Amino acid sequence: MNLNTLKYLTLIVVASCALNSCKDDGVEIDTEKPSIDLTVAGAFPTSCDTLYFDEPFTIKAQLTDNVELGSYNIDIHNNFDQHTHSTEFENCTLDTIKKAVNPYIFIQDYTIPAATSEYTTDVSLTIPSTDGTDAYDEGDYHFQISLTDKEGWSTLKGLNVKILRR
Amino acid sequence: MLRHLVLIFGITFVYCSAFGQTGYRFMGKIVDKKNTPLEGAWITIPAANKGVESDSNGNFGIYNLPYSTYKIEISFLGYRTLTKHVSLTENRNHVFTLEELSVWLDEVEVRRNSPEQRKKETTLNVELVDDDYLKKNLGGSLMKSLERLPGITTIEIGSGQSKPVIRGLGFNRVVVIQNNIKHEAQQWGSDHGLEIDQYGVDNVEIIKGPASLMYGSDAIGGVINMKDRSVPSKNTFGTTVDLTGKTNNDFLGTSVSLFARKNKFYITARATLLGFGDYKVPTDSVAIYSYHVPLHKNHLRNTAGKEQNLHTSFGYISDRFQSKFYISNINSTGGFFANAHGLEPRNVDHEVHDASNRDILYPYHDVNHFKVINRSSYWSGKWRMEFDLGYQRNFRQEWSQYTQHGYMPAVVSEELDFNPEIERQFQLDAYSGNAKFFYKLKNKTDLNFGINAEYKENEIGGRGFIIPSYNQLNLGSYVVAKHRRSKKSLLLTGIRYDFGRLNSKSHYDWFVSPVGDDQFEHLQRAIDIRRNFSNVTWSFGYNFNPNKWLYKFNIGKSFRMPIAKELAANGVNYHRFSYEVGNADLSPEISYQFDAGFAYGSKKFAFEATPFANYFSNYIYLDPTSNYDRLYGFGNQVFEYTESEVFRYGGEVRASYDVLKQLQFGIAGEYVYAIQLSGEKKGYTLPFSPPASGIFNVTYQKPKLKCVKKAYVTLDYRLTAAQNNIVPPEETTDGFRVFNLGLGGEAIVRNQPIDISVQVRNLLNIKYFNHTSYYRLINVPEAGRNLIINISFPFTGKIKTT
Repeated sequence: MNLNTLKYLTLIVVASCALNSCKDDGVEIDTEKPSIDLTVAGAFPTSCDTLYFDEPFTIKAQLTDNVELGSYNIDIHNNFDQHTHSTEFENCTLDTIKKAVNPYIFIQDYTIPAATSEYTTDVSLTIPSTDGTDAYDEGDYHFQISLTDKEGWSTLKGLNVKILRR
Repeated sequence: MLRHLVLIFGITFVYCSAFGQTGYRFMGKIVDKKNTPLEGAWITIPAANKGVESDSNGNFGIYNLPYSTYKIEISFLGYRTLTKHVSLTENRNHVFTLEELSVWLDEVEVRRNSPEQRKKETTLNVELVDDDYLKKNLGGSLMKSLERLPGITTIEIGSGQSKPVIRGLGFNRVVVIQNNIKHEAQQWGSDHGLEIDQYGVDNVEIIKGPASLMYGSDAIGGVINMKDRSVPSKNTFGTTVDLTGKTNNDFLGTSVSLFARKNKFYITARATLLGFGDYKVPTDSVAIYSYHVPLHKNHLRNTAGKEQNLHTSFGYISDRFQSKFYISNINSTGGFFANAHGLEPRNVDHEVHDASNRDILYPYHDVNHFKVINRSSYWSGKWRMEFDLGYQRNFRQEWSQYTQHGYMPAVVSEELDFNPEIERQFQLDAYSGNAKFFYKLKNKTDLNFGINAEYKENEIGGRGFIIPSYNQLNLGSYVVAKHRRSKKSLLLTGIRYDFGRLNSKSHYDWFVSPVGDDQFEHLQRAIDIRRNFSNVTWSFGYNFNPNKWLYKFNIGKSFRMPIAKELAANGVNYHRFSYEVGNADLSPEISYQFDAGFAYGSKKFAFEATPFANYFSNYIYLDPTSNYDRLYGFGNQVFEYTESEVFRYGGEVRASYDVLKQLQFGIAGEYVYAIQLSGEKKGYTLPFSPPASGIFNVTYQKPKLKCVKKAYVTLDYRLTAAQNNIVPPEETTDGFRVFNLGLGGEAIVRNQPIDISVQVRNLLNIKYFNHTSYYRLINVPEAGRNLIINISFPFTGKIKTT
């Protein structure tokens, strides 16, 4: 091949790529994370709420995504050491810092029907007061909901709650 | 130059000493600048097909020559080759003085390896750096020191660990080679650095682009090739002491090397000892996902580390044969950011952790890498043979407090056959061998045949499972032809066949989980996987360098076998709080790439552009799904290995202009664009895509400034664009501007040279995020201002020979 031809051919290919003509702009991608709304009517629990051992309650939160929701996960763990999560805005009154003896822990994932972009959770939960032998610790807990959308974006909402014996 | 040397040896092969005294006698003596006779220099008269070696007094004689004017060549290891036209009209004793190159040199390739020459000899885009560059740009780890080069970025975790990324491709897509043997460690782990002592590296060649042809599977993204060229010149000895200090992480390091050579035997040794404290970031708290962590005095909690390295090499070098051994042991220990390691962001005892910034507490890793390599070569006339053999053992342990998850017992019994505080353990044994044969077919064509073989075994241990034990065999063979069409143009083409076999072993939990009513079982995490892979790859390139210009083009196919982690991962990533799952059916990655290079160089102005375009038919990557894991019962998001079609393009540009003899301006820039054309993440980019970035540089240098030789001051202004092109779970990262200052030179104190280099990185203590840092996701900014000082004392001497 003539060298000059080769030279110009390459320059054209390179220049056209550089000018973005190689880029496929036709595909729209989702870069938005899903969201968890706890301000809807009847949302529970919300920040600073109290849960009681052995008393059933329903978790209600509104989940939305601009395209399609994935699944969500609920996590309850102790906050006796008063660590913080930056998603909490409100300051609740906390008990004094203490050592965990037999803290309650709960982790469970839940599915959301396919092709849903808005969903309200309806999970009934009863926190047992013992693990079968020993009583669970009362006190400050974190209640966390994590949510994904279909693309794998995830979001997290953490709340301060108290779990007490009535 | 190699051609000449090979030719010389070839000529010697047919050379016969005196045939009687007819014709002209060409006699003389070879000396160095101090008039010391040089033994073993080669004197050749190509036109007459004659050559001879000088004797112990530097004398030589070539007999039986017709009277004429001859072009003669005199070459000697470590000295500049002398070419002269000598008119043989009378029997006269000639004296030739050779100029010494330097104390450190390579036996055969030294003069062939100037960056300019190397770029003319290849059709791929290469970067070459020497120890001088490394010292001037010394970073926390070898890759960090190389990051200034356009097209090179790193994935970092902490201040002493980083992984190479070439044009946005890293992990198992970049091959690291040391002394011709592929460095084998746990390179699949995003948090695992390179077990390389950067003080022991004096020469790095980086191939930007696929190089499967010569280096096999894994070289799909590029190659970092480190060659230890430190062979002392004949009858010398010496030592170098390096001292390094850094203010950001209170780093203190020293490396001492020794060398000696007597005639054909040489030995070198090196010991490196370094330690550093927690590094400082310009922020007083970070948010790990949503978890708020205060930092004590800006220290990133528990990121201190230490390293102890030992090396020795010895060998025999003669005119036809050389054999060199390299033995090294690298041991490094480093802490992980304590709040960001585990199943979730953790609340650790800050009082204990913050008591000292130099202690290494849980969680930390400890790696020991032992390596033995032999490189031997034998050459004669038109051919050369090379054999490389290597054995490596990489032993890695990650320690952390025992944390129960899933159905792990809350308290572990003492009957376990492993320490429950060991989170993971890997022991890799790798055996490698290469045989290469170079043959000069006619004058214009070089042929290169090669066979690479590698067998490795990886055993796992510890309480947490992520990848299974496996063994893997790789065999490859290639032929490459280099044809010189003229002095200014060459064609390079080659073809390669690879075969690989990977057997990964099944794995069961060490603890039982409930599988039904009152039924408990050791759950199976991995099944037996047996996969065979084979592939043909090829490459074709053209290099043309008329006068001040250089053009190169290369097109090639590369491939990469899936690794054990991609096929069989099934566990928690403790840095990302994610659950990673492999896919046993993945096919080998295939990539086609077109590379070009355009360069212009005049006395004052130099310019280079190296664009590329690349297509992957199936790029393997870790895809975040919308599911949460319940396998280990900790509710982490599940990431699955998947494959998709990918198109990438980008390139680097670089230019420099000498305003004055001492004042130089330079710019360098890099850009990569990647898009997935199919699969779950169609339309998205690839994870860890480096943003566009550029460096503006001004350098002032003076050969002599009072008592300082080679004095320089250099200022880099790095401008990095924002990265908004992301894929879950990444965050967009803002652009940043950082100043780095460097200065130094060679001070002469009582005839003793002292090399000094000083750097101030992040001069203005800017808070910024690096999109490709592993700690980016947990919002840890890059290190704050850092003053780095390196002082090097070289001492050399001559060994007297009797």
